[in-house]
Amino acid sequence: MGLLSSCQSKRANSRSVSMTFDAQILNMSGISKAFPGVQALDAASLSVDAGEVHGLVGENGAGKSTIIKVLAGVYSRDAGDVEINGIGFETLSPAAVHDAGVRFIHQELHLVPHFTVAESVFMGQELQGVLGTKNTAMRRRAEEFLEESLNAHISATTLIRDLGIAERKLVQIARALIDSKAQIVVFDEPTAPLAIGEIEQLFQAIRRLKERGIAMIYVSHYLGEITELCDRVTVFRNGKNVAVESEIDERSTETIIRHMVGRDIEELYPKKDHGVRDPILKLSDLTSDGRFSGIDLAIGKGEIVGIAGLIGSGREELTDAIYGLAQPTSGIVTLDGKDLNVTSPSIAVEAGIVLVPRDRRHDGLVLDLNVADNINLASLDEVATSFLENRKAAIQRAEALCEKLDIRPRNAEAITRFLSGGNQQKVVLARWLATGSKLFILDEPTVGVDIGAKVEIYQVIEGLAAQGAGILISSSDPSELLGICDRIVVLMRGEKIADEPAITLNLDSLTALTTGGGSVDTAT
Amino acid sequence: MTTSRPHAASLVSKSAMVGYLPLVIFVALLGYLSIASSNFLTPATFDLILRQAVPTIIICMGLSVVVMAGGDDVVSGGIDLSIPATAVLSAAIIAQQVTNQGTPLAAALVMALGAAVLVGAVNAILVVRIGMTPLLATLATSVAVVGIIKVVTSSRRINVNDPTIVWLRDGTIAGVSVSVVSTFLLFLILFFVAHRTRWGLNLQAVGGSREAAEVSGISARKFVAQSFIVASLTGGLAAMFVLARGSGSTPGTEENLLLEMVLATFLGAAFSPRRVVTLWGAVLGAVLVSALSIGFKSIGVNVFWTGCIKGALILVVVASASLSTRVASRGRAA
Repeated sequence: MGLLSSCQSKRANSRSVSMTFDAQILNMSGISKAFPGVQALDAASLSVDAGEVHGLVGENGAGKSTIIKVLAGVYSRDAGDVEINGIGFETLSPAAVHDAGVRFIHQELHLVPHFTVAESVFMGQELQGVLGTKNTAMRRRAEEFLEESLNAHISATTLIRDLGIAERKLVQIARALIDSKAQIVVFDEPTAPLAIGEIEQLFQAIRRLKERGIAMIYVSHYLGEITELCDRVTVFRNGKNVAVESEIDERSTETIIRHMVGRDIEELYPKKDHGVRDPILKLSDLTSDGRFSGIDLAIGKGEIVGIAGLIGSGREELTDAIYGLAQPTSGIVTLDGKDLNVTSPSIAVEAGIVLVPRDRRHDGLVLDLNVADNINLASLDEVATSFLENRKAAIQRAEALCEKLDIRPRNAEAITRFLSGGNQQKVVLARWLATGSKLFILDEPTVGVDIGAKVEIYQVIEGLAAQGAGILISSSDPSELLGICDRIVVLMRGEKIADEPAITLNLDSLTALTTGGGSVDTAT
Repeated sequence: MTTSRPHAASLVSKSAMVGYLPLVIFVALLGYLSIASSNFLTPATFDLILRQAVPTIIICMGLSVVVMAGGDDVVSGGIDLSIPATAVLSAAIIAQQVTNQGTPLAAALVMALGAAVLVGAVNAILVVRIGMTPLLATLATSVAVVGIIKVVTSSRRINVNDPTIVWLRDGTIAGVSVSVVSTFLLFLILFFVAHRTRWGLNLQAVGGSREAAEVSGISARKFVAQSFIVASLTGGLAAMFVLARGSGSTPGTEENLLLEMVLATFLGAAFSPRRVVTLWGAVLGAVLVSALSIGFKSIGVNVFWTGCIKGALILVVVASASLSTRVASRGRAA
């Protein structure tokens, strides 16, 4: 009596199913879903065959996660049909989807650190006898399942917190599949938290599941993984499925990217013309264990350098380390020729490094103070005599900067909360402009900003560079980086994989680099 | 199998060391007491320690269940400060009914348990429905319950001579005090429920990671609410032993119980290999705390200083718990 037999019967089962239902195990067609102001899905379709690994790709906001949430019963669809295993579902509830054999492997691990592997696998579905929980049986079945179905050798009595991330991921998968009723498994960015060496372990598990006849939907930004693992790929763009690729090999990446991007760069960006001068910031072999390693980077005076990379590439961690929010384990940071040991943001600011954070509403601005107070926050010394702020000087200086950056309304005493996103971002920039900093690190400078304000922010950035400051922009928007940067550095899983002049890259080649789907050779 | 880097390993052992700190201090204190007082290490003293510990042990088990369901974060996690007050309220109700009204003990106990469950239900509603932090919610109910105790008893002591209560105090089964034996039986039942049933494992899952539990189809709210009811019931049961230990109900007993309960339960986490609050850890903790109180008395330490030392020990226990989680999470973040 054991898992093996039940798995074999399961396999036989899904085979018969696949014959009866013409191999198609999931068919979602004409799915529409609107949110206030956004048509998230517009008659989109997704169909998956039994026993295939089906890739689902698209840029952020293309509708991938919306269609998965419709399938999960989290969102109710406005229109469209869903058939699972040949049975139509008028409405989908999480429980009904679960009963139909669909399982979701969320990006988050959702495990209790001090639970054992067996306890985690059987969480919420413990085996209970008259004399309490059947601990021995649960241990044995958990180990057997991990071994047989996921190709992993993990002791069931190990605590989760003593496991590596890849092993935790396998425990998470085992929990979803242990009842042997799963027919469709949806993976959401399963490799995002993994290091390069750990990915293969997960892939082996996925291939083993495929041998057992389980259909899988693999949602990922990593196109390299998609082409390695998937039998077919559906590409989403603007809420629609724009292509289904069925013959997948390494060369498919280019086709997939073309379908994903499907547009040209708008002429948003100022024309740049600054020859590279002396380096202002130099990173040599900067390493932070588990986050990024061996990063070499130089930024010249007046140069705008962009960092591209997916979530988990180490982009955010690198800028945090330069600004002193996190400690690198080794490596050297040089600013203006002097070695710098940045252990806290206050040291960074003192040295002339400034970080304009991604979430300006929380990290960058005191929203209930007025514009002048926010602008002068980092340079109060200059508008203060002994302990007291010189109110008039403060307002005058703020007004001069409002003028310079075209902050609207042109009123330094307006409360910051009521400014638009773009103008709030300009207030943050004005603050650091006032301090005369040498290096500006901008994290997602135009997120949530309308197109007109974007152009103005780009002009401010250009202006800073023209005055001789070094600029480091970390952004998830490839067209933004291509448009404004002199040079683009690509990070992947904590390593620098490219450092190219922006002019030699285009949207396709940059996307290929960040998603691990190509090399520099494919550029130009 | 584990991909442990040397860096991470050293952090883990550091966190383990910080976690053991309170235990080391306790053992050192007990070692000092057994040298300073010649009759500390005798069977008679041990019996006394256990009998004194009984009410604390019972409410500690209740608090453990709440912490298991709410998580062991001292500020936002599960805690129920109202159990001692509930125990003393139940004791006051029984004493009032039995001594002043002539109600049979069984009927009085039912009334006391009813009152206890009511307190638990109020806690459950405040935390689960209204969304207050357990610390504040149960502090408020605790203060309110202490007020009710004063109303019920007019702030006066009520003696109880009921034969069953006297038997709980003086009786022995096979040479072991009845109160100790019955507490052990209660421990076995609760241990089985909390550590060997689906209910118990799900309860611990909720406390370990609410999201993980919800994803696994476990209703976190249900378990948190139930944990407060269980805790209040242990308070009601502890009332019987509060009465036996004091030969009646005395307002103000809850202060010392509260101190010992919090100290013992979180100290108990140091016994567990997983560094989490467990039932048996809490019981051992309660025995240690009781040993310390009696040891201090036997070497003639001023009663007021005892409270001061216990307060300092709570700080050490709680601080080491937060420190060890901080060190451990620094090792994990990657």
